[in-house]
Amino acid sequence: MRSRSDDGTNLAHTAEATTTRPTTPVGDVPREAGRSDAWGSMAFEDRMATVDFRVAEKAHIEVDSEVCRSCTTRSCVGACPAALFVPTADGGILFNYEECFECGTCYMICNNEGAITWSYPEGGHGVVYKKS
Amino acid sequence: MTERFDAVVVGAGPAGSAAALVLAQGGASVCLLERGPFPGSKNMYGGVIYGRILDGLIPQWWDEAPVQRWVTRRCTTMLTAGQALTIDYRTSAWGSPPYNGATAFRPDFDAWLAGKAEAAGAVLVCSTTATGLLRNEAGAIVGVRTDRPDGDIEARTVIACDGVNSFLAKEAGLYHHAEADHFTLGVKEVLALPRRDIEERFGLRGLEGADFEIVGCTGDVPGGGFIYTNLDSIAVGLVLSLPGLAASKRRPEDILAEMKTHPAIAPLVEGAELKEYSAHLIPEGGYDMMPELGQDNLLIAGDAAAMCLAAGIWLEGVNFAIGSGAAAGEAVVEALTRGGVVAQPLEGYRRRLENSFVLADHKKLRRAPGLVLSDRVQSRYPQLACNLAERMFTVDNPSPKKGMVALGRQEIKRSGVRLRDLARDAWTGLRTFG
Amino acid sequence: MTAGGARLGAARLGVAMKWVDLRPEIDSLTGAVHTDARFSGASGADQAALELALQLGGTWGADVVVVSVGPAGSETMLREALAAGATQALRVDGDTAMASQDVARALAETFKGLGVDLVLCGDWSLDRGSGSVPAFLAGAMGFAQALGLVSIAPDGRSPCGLSAQRRLDGGRRERLRIQAPAILSVESGAARLRRAALTRVIEARKATVEVRPAPTPVGAPHLAPTRVGPYRPRARTLPPPSLTLSPRERVLALTGALVERTPPQTLVLEAPEAAERILDQLRTWGYLT
Repeated sequence: MRSRSDDGTNLAHTAEATTTRPTTPVGDVPREAGRSDAWGSMAFEDRMATVDFRVAEKAHIEVDSEVCRSCTTRSCVGACPAALFVPTADGGILFNYEECFECGTCYMICNNEGAITWSYPEGGHGVVYKKS
Repeated sequence: MTERFDAVVVGAGPAGSAAALVLAQGGASVCLLERGPFPGSKNMYGGVIYGRILDGLIPQWWDEAPVQRWVTRRCTTMLTAGQALTIDYRTSAWGSPPYNGATAFRPDFDAWLAGKAEAAGAVLVCSTTATGLLRNEAGAIVGVRTDRPDGDIEARTVIACDGVNSFLAKEAGLYHHAEADHFTLGVKEVLALPRRDIEERFGLRGLEGADFEIVGCTGDVPGGGFIYTNLDSIAVGLVLSLPGLAASKRRPEDILAEMKTHPAIAPLVEGAELKEYSAHLIPEGGYDMMPELGQDNLLIAGDAAAMCLAAGIWLEGVNFAIGSGAAAGEAVVEALTRGGVVAQPLEGYRRRLENSFVLADHKKLRRAPGLVLSDRVQSRYPQLACNLAERMFTVDNPSPKKGMVALGRQEIKRSGVRLRDLARDAWTGLRTFG
Repeated sequence: MTAGGARLGAARLGVAMKWVDLRPEIDSLTGAVHTDARFSGASGADQAALELALQLGGTWGADVVVVSVGPAGSETMLREALAAGATQALRVDGDTAMASQDVARALAETFKGLGVDLVLCGDWSLDRGSGSVPAFLAGAMGFAQALGLVSIAPDGRSPCGLSAQRRLDGGRRERLRIQAPAILSVESGAARLRRAALTRVIEARKATVEVRPAPTPVGAPHLAPTRVGPYRPRARTLPPPSLTLSPRERVLALTGALVERTPPQTLVLEAPEAAERILDQLRTWGYLT
């Protein structure tokens, strides 16, 4: 599968790295009436769009979905600040690597040895902060 | 294979650039590696840069450092659902040289500091990720491997300043405690706000800046919040304990959005437009979870050595990174002048850290992380303090005013805090911070 | 393709690159563009052109010369090109707002002086985006042009022949056979720039980038606004209908359907009478008193 990103670079996705976005709402969905202030109701995609990600060709995250099937906590799904992990119906985990903050929360929080293999993306790629 | 360097420094953050600067000033040949496209591009923080440590490295640094504002107002705020109690300290002394703390964008500040190292003679190589330690047949560390073709760099000493995830320190086996409970997740929004609004909302003038540290804003996840002012933006963020976050099943940005709706916070942040969202891990375990400082020809500094100080009222990191990086640089220069290969820089490095604030502060505050993230400090004490303040300042005529002692006793009872715990925490606090 | 023929491909390959901010900040109120040197570099298309030139240069044993018309900051980009494998880098002093024809003229002079007979470049720059420099360059040098290519490879039949593909409307592709001298512009997807070897990166830090003075502009810029249209205010945001209404009522409220109003009429009148009618109508609506 080959697709083109905005800056025209070619992204070759590995079979495990899918670009599926979580379908469940993960953004700041206001929970109560009167909470839907301009900043509170921001869509998660808009939040992520404020960050510059220079996507590398090769994924720097690997998930062994076999291990995930036996996982009951799935902490990575909720805790990843970029919401890169999505549970699948068959008990596995789908993941993205493109919009990764490279924080390391996922592998730190994962309680199943070997489920998440995480390294830094290729030099010059990945997240680039401007105002942080 | 490239020329052999006296030292290769991995990571051009504050620790790495300080190390490279000291090494270059000391006449050593040094290669400074950075995996981002420019120094600082991978870095975010919750905070303030305390620049006193720079005085010795870059005289009059405040004239040239890319600073946003000088912190002259330091607030510690305790929040409950509808209450807030703030200790608000301000001084004009921090608003003039030599200053105390500064807010800055790390991509600016780190790039500036790395530029200083480069100007002193360090070879800065960006967009290059160190993938591992280079070892000779005998197993001794002789440099690092990188992800570039023909990418091995040979050096007498490796200084790993590769951040909180330090794969080099882990590869060398220096970490004995790298569990999730020693780390917190920091998430931050930089929100654009006109300069005049910032000055009005935070009561500032010119380049004065404010720094809010907030406890009680993270729901059932242990952690804290912060607000800092930049020139025409504010940084609002949270620090969340990893196990707490996992257990809560809540999203970090949701907790942050909730803090922003608190009646004490909303007027400060409302209407501001998100410019950049960011996230990073913070090593908050303190002294007791620190890794070994190095082995043979490898030294680790900054976040890689877990040198972030997260002790409640003191939240510092960049200064510890610069302090440890500079100490590592000095130790290597010393080892080189003493005859290079024979002398090991590790002893000198440890000695320098122990004699400076870097390890002294951490040692003194070793109990702080546990205390700060405890349930009582996180929610019960803020609740107790806010309730007490509310009772003190509520005028319920015609009932006569109650004495402070009586109020205190009633509120402690109502809060469910046991006196024994209160006394013990007070004692721990006194021993730690006193 | 290796030695054997009388002359293999181009003796010298040229690459034209532009240093641009890849992620400029645009003030949403004023439209002012803020650029940042740290975020500047070669666009994906220019990088693809360099990569293809390096591949062809490798096949033909030809030198690759990279030229950029731009400010001093462009030298970082040129050093990166040297690190990736270019043999020579030149900067013509200029600013990023120079007219395309002047840029093309400066490039043409430089490439001619170097004896380059095949030039590769990106299809269009990220900041101007008119894609006219390659065409002007072909005109100035008197070379053939093949623009917007998605792939380039030696054709394997003639020693210096190339076969290339470009996109046409409706998903069709056109296959071209190209013979130097020629100007080729490529899309960003055509190739991904190789990663430079570490040794070369360190060497390139000190490599010399020859600087040529800026050319004198030929005259007026070739793209200049001749007329500015009238000011059109932004669409007004209307408050949404109350949530207590039924979906049907909300749709009606939003569209204005079934609401009683005077139907529009078309009148053909003499000028004074028409003016009277307009004034009357404005008084009725309350704009005039």
